[in-house]
Amino acid sequence: MKKSTPYLLLLPALLFTLFVLVYPLVQNLINSAREVSLIRGANGWVGAGNYLRVFQDSLFWVSFRNTALYALLGTLLSLLIGMGFALLLNARAGKVTTVFSFLYTIPWVISPVVAGFAWKWLLNDHFGIINYWLISAGLLRENYTWLGNPGTALLCVTIARVWQFYPFAMVMFLAGLQAIPQEQYEAAAVDGATAFRRFFHITLPNLRTVTSVLLVLGVIWSFNDFNMVFVMTRGGPINASMVLPVLVREYSFVFFDLGKGSALSTVIFLLLASLSFVYIKVLAKRQSA
Amino acid sequence: MKRTATIFLLTILAFLVLLPFLWTVSTSLKPLPEVNRYPPEWISPAITFSPYVDMFFFLPFSIYTLNSLLVASSATVLTLIVGSLAGYAFSRFEFAGKRAFLLLFLLSQMLPGASVIIPLFQLARDAGLYDTHVGLILVHTAILLPFVIWLLYGFFSAIPREIEDAALIDGCSRLDALRRVILPLALPGIGATAIFAFLGSWNEFFFALILTASDSTRTIPVGIGLFIGEYNDVWNQMSAAAVLFSFPPLLLFLLMRRTFIKGLVTGAIK
Repeated sequence: MKKSTPYLLLLPALLFTLFVLVYPLVQNLINSAREVSLIRGANGWVGAGNYLRVFQDSLFWVSFRNTALYALLGTLLSLLIGMGFALLLNARAGKVTTVFSFLYTIPWVISPVVAGFAWKWLLNDHFGIINYWLISAGLLRENYTWLGNPGTALLCVTIARVWQFYPFAMVMFLAGLQAIPQEQYEAAAVDGATAFRRFFHITLPNLRTVTSVLLVLGVIWSFNDFNMVFVMTRGGPINASMVLPVLVREYSFVFFDLGKGSALSTVIFLLLASLSFVYIKVLAKRQSA
Repeated sequence: MKRTATIFLLTILAFLVLLPFLWTVSTSLKPLPEVNRYPPEWISPAITFSPYVDMFFFLPFSIYTLNSLLVASSATVLTLIVGSLAGYAFSRFEFAGKRAFLLLFLLSQMLPGASVIIPLFQLARDAGLYDTHVGLILVHTAILLPFVIWLLYGFFSAIPREIEDAALIDGCSRLDALRRVILPLALPGIGATAIFAFLGSWNEFFFALILTASDSTRTIPVGIGLFIGEYNDVWNQMSAAAVLFSFPPLLLFLLMRRTFIKGLVTGAIK
């Protein structure tokens, strides 16, 4: 067997990865140190100028706060709901579980774009069914513009995100629950432990690693999520629901400032690289445990 | 009694959970005047399938659908070819830098789209691939590759080496052994991988949005995602497009729930 064989086999995949993923990362760094316009092309070197302009932009800080809120709140709620559903489904084994776990997973299976579209329609101020129900129930006096109001836009997008993401947590928790040795529960039952105590002393500790993986992964993915915000609000109204990935597009392809866009891209990359570092640490701990 | 109560609760929850999607389905079956009707009705007396036809003629969804099919199937084939070569190398050879290469693929999967999009846009534009099918196919292939390589690596490793050694002794070349022995045995795994790759490209929105600019290359999610929806807009036709677009993922999920969920869990943890 020739020594070069495995490298030849890897070559096409490596070329793809280098061209589409590694080279852009480097080019991004170069961009971020220059004045680059989408229309006029690259101009001169500006050193850290683009980064300064990003950090001096109050919109960056608003987006940063929004992204953090969206990622943290969205992930926490998804985990809570996912855990609730998993416990409910785990209690009833058999065919019923299969059917319902299928139904509950649907929001995750359909495209995020469809999820965003469906929620946008549900929340439509004139013809949306949510306004209609709230008015019918006497909770609202007139149609409310959920996505057109700076106070509620981000919250609504976050709820849509939770709707789309909780099934992932549910499936992972369900797998985690089914892996807990039954003997632990039997022993606890013999000792006369209440359901409450069994949950806190057996179920939760056994789900600790799944929970930490989900938490880190959920935050990374939501931090990275462009789709839900773009489809539902495009970051509006008046940037009230702007998040960092959408802001990259705004800088680069709406204001044609590729240099500033690249600087922001690099900032996002560094933020996510540190989050991923945490994720790898969590995984390593999980494997050694 | 307790069982009935639980099933009742589970059913109520299912309705609550599926509400946004059911409401979209309901809207997709209404003529336009009924869409803007107040109070809204779940099932309109004038129920119709015409939005499902109209969107292909009044909206550009016939082109979008062809684009989506073309991009997703090409990206799937390309990813599988490139990915199975790499997966085979990882599963059958020991070589210097193997761990580093595996790590490279693992890390590239975590790369945020927002941090590579600008150079990719420049690259596509300079190479004349901006706003072309080929450009989008190549980018989708690259995005899908890491996950596909990891999946195929797993499937190939599960096939005993002895079977392949026998073929090599009988005078097969490496590529022959891969083509005639490994690939047929790994077929179920490759099929599952193909479905993941197809759905990955089918649902992909971000790169498709930025790297296309005209109706002749836009895919279905871009068409849906760019819809703003102001007064008197064609929400029924858009809903029909959204429902139809969701059909392949739902069908494949229904048919192969187990593999799907296994893939989901593997994709997250490895």
